[in-house]
Amino acid sequence: MTKNKIPSILQTWFLRFKMEIALFISPTLKDHCEESAPQTLTCALCTFRIRHRFSSALRILEVGREKLGVQRCRDPQEVDDPPCISSGREMATPVLWACFVVLAAGVVAYAQRHSQQDTHVLYERLGSDVTLPCGTAAWDTAVTWRVNGTDLEAAHLNGSQLVLEGLDLSHSGHYACYQGSSWHLRYQALLHVGMPPREPVLTCRSNNYPKGFYCSWHLPAPTFIPNTFNVTVLHGSKLLGCEKDPAPKNRCHIRYTQLFSTVKYKVTLTVTNALGHNSTAIIFDEFTIVKPDPPENVVARPVPSSPRRLEVTWQTPSSWPDPESFPLKFFLRYRPLILDQWQHVELSDGTTHTITDAYAGKEYIIQVAAKDNEIGTWSDWSVAAHATPWTEEPRYLTTEAQAPETTTTTTTSFVPPPTTKICDPGEVGDGVGSSTGLLLTVTVTVTVTLTTIAATGLFI
Amino acid sequence: MDLRAGDSWGMLACLCTVLWHLPAVPALNRTGDPGPGPSIQKTYDLTRYLEHQLRSLAGTYLNYLGPPFNEPDFNPPRLSAEALPSATVNLDVWRSLNDRLRLAQNYQAYSHLLCYLRGLDRHAATAELRRSLGHFCTSLQGLLGSIAGVMAALGYPLPPQGAEPAWAPGPSHSDFLQKMDDFWLLKELQTWLWRSAKDFNRLKKKMQPSVPAVTLRLEVPASDL
Repeated sequence: MTKNKIPSILQTWFLRFKMEIALFISPTLKDHCEESAPQTLTCALCTFRIRHRFSSALRILEVGREKLGVQRCRDPQEVDDPPCISSGREMATPVLWACFVVLAAGVVAYAQRHSQQDTHVLYERLGSDVTLPCGTAAWDTAVTWRVNGTDLEAAHLNGSQLVLEGLDLSHSGHYACYQGSSWHLRYQALLHVGMPPREPVLTCRSNNYPKGFYCSWHLPAPTFIPNTFNVTVLHGSKLLGCEKDPAPKNRCHIRYTQLFSTVKYKVTLTVTNALGHNSTAIIFDEFTIVKPDPPENVVARPVPSSPRRLEVTWQTPSSWPDPESFPLKFFLRYRPLILDQWQHVELSDGTTHTITDAYAGKEYIIQVAAKDNEIGTWSDWSVAAHATPWTEEPRYLTTEAQAPETTTTTTTSFVPPPTTKICDPGEVGDGVGSSTGLLLTVTVTVTVTLTTIAATGLFI
Repeated sequence: MDLRAGDSWGMLACLCTVLWHLPAVPALNRTGDPGPGPSIQKTYDLTRYLEHQLRSLAGTYLNYLGPPFNEPDFNPPRLSAEALPSATVNLDVWRSLNDRLRLAQNYQAYSHLLCYLRGLDRHAATAELRRSLGHFCTSLQGLLGSIAGVMAALGYPLPPQGAEPAWAPGPSHSDFLQKMDDFWLLKELQTWLWRSAKDFNRLKKKMQPSVPAVTLRLEVPASDL
């Protein structure tokens, strides 16, 4: 026998154990073990656990046994032990055989059991009926069914088969069937109750024009079972790839290869699950899906010494890649918190605006939206900014000629003169008229000239 | 191209050559020229106006053509309309266009498109359509003149009046294919107007250094309030 060949044979033997259920050692091993040379064949099998699913019968006797114990076939020149070594080196042959017998029996039994006990995975439709058989057991066999470890009453049984009617979501679970008093597991299954997918909702949008666009989708109703989504994008006759987002999962991106294209894009989404499939498609022009993200960092500040002004600044959305070549225009809306009606200003450029007709001392809420100058639609409204116009520090009444600025009670440091009427929110109704009324009421104790100036001041 | 009796395309070709020479209007002689900025702005505004006008014109015309041309999802393959000047361009190429080329491409495109548009007029059945088309053609003529003005102000020569527009239908051009050509003409026109807006906006930014927005602040003394 060759020096190098035997260890590799043993190794192959070793590896083969892991794959086959029952095998005999390669006849070549036998061939290489001559009777004259001292031979030991390794009883490596007894140390392996059953789950490795192998057994092996060694035709030790044919090889020749001079001694009892572990038979290991190796090159006599070899110093190192071959990889397959057993713990029981001096085991007697009968013990060795017993080892094999037990092993073989175990393996066979295990194989038999396992083939019946592979967990089946079932997907069934909500509201339907399903009958689960107890493996290969006969119809009239006495069986016990268990759901998630809990016994089921016999009422659901049709012989040895379990009948489930009108499936609902609570029926999902692990079902197992045991035969007889020995609790022999004959069948097990994981039942998932769900729905085939309804037509998905697909939208595409370009918030980073002219780089590309993305499409996102969702199902109008849950299916309760796993779904796979497949998106295809057709530009004329050309098929484009839509790169899926790792998160969120229901989104994919496409890059524009050509700009100012007259050919429409067609995006098709197919959703598939174990119970069915559905699809939807949308067709659009490059220009129609352009919708920027809302402006960022909207900040509103009072303007010092200007009680009716608010300075608003914002930034173009960071997702818009090229505001120089593809400028955005903005839409600003603002109102005092106490009123419902918004005022609007459209701005063709610049990221700043000063509101000049704010009601003195009232807190304002301000929002900005963006749109490409020529194409697409308006973005959503930005996060709201709040601000109150500048108010002068209150001065105490000294003479009639010096009158304090009038403010509402929202100013914390302000101590109203004893004759000033407390601001009643109910009085502030719908617009300028009531505000004027309030102002006039408050300044009733002030000299006539100042009242006139105050009144005209409101109408600037 | 052989001119058969009653061959309107022959007449069209003739008309087109005439039109080709027409927009070579010299720039207005302006002393103390404020620069091309105002005329670029004017050109930009014209593209916006035309785009708005085209929307209503196209709606009417496509309805006249009838289904499927007036359906929003109509997505036909481009066949014979390959000779139409296409606005489609690679982004980097578009960005790197020099001013002269940018203007020249616009000028040439609209010259072609105007020519074809005038051809559209011949089979427009209703008077209302003819009127709308005529009005649009006049506006488009104005745009061409405006572009020519900008080019002249910047010292660029007008594009050479080269070959006649290559787009002509085959001998047996069916009614449906004719309608298809009309559809693509309007589509290309719309796309060009969108592109021109971007083109002129880019030119505008390049011509004028960024002017800070002038905000009129009325500083009212506090005592007045």
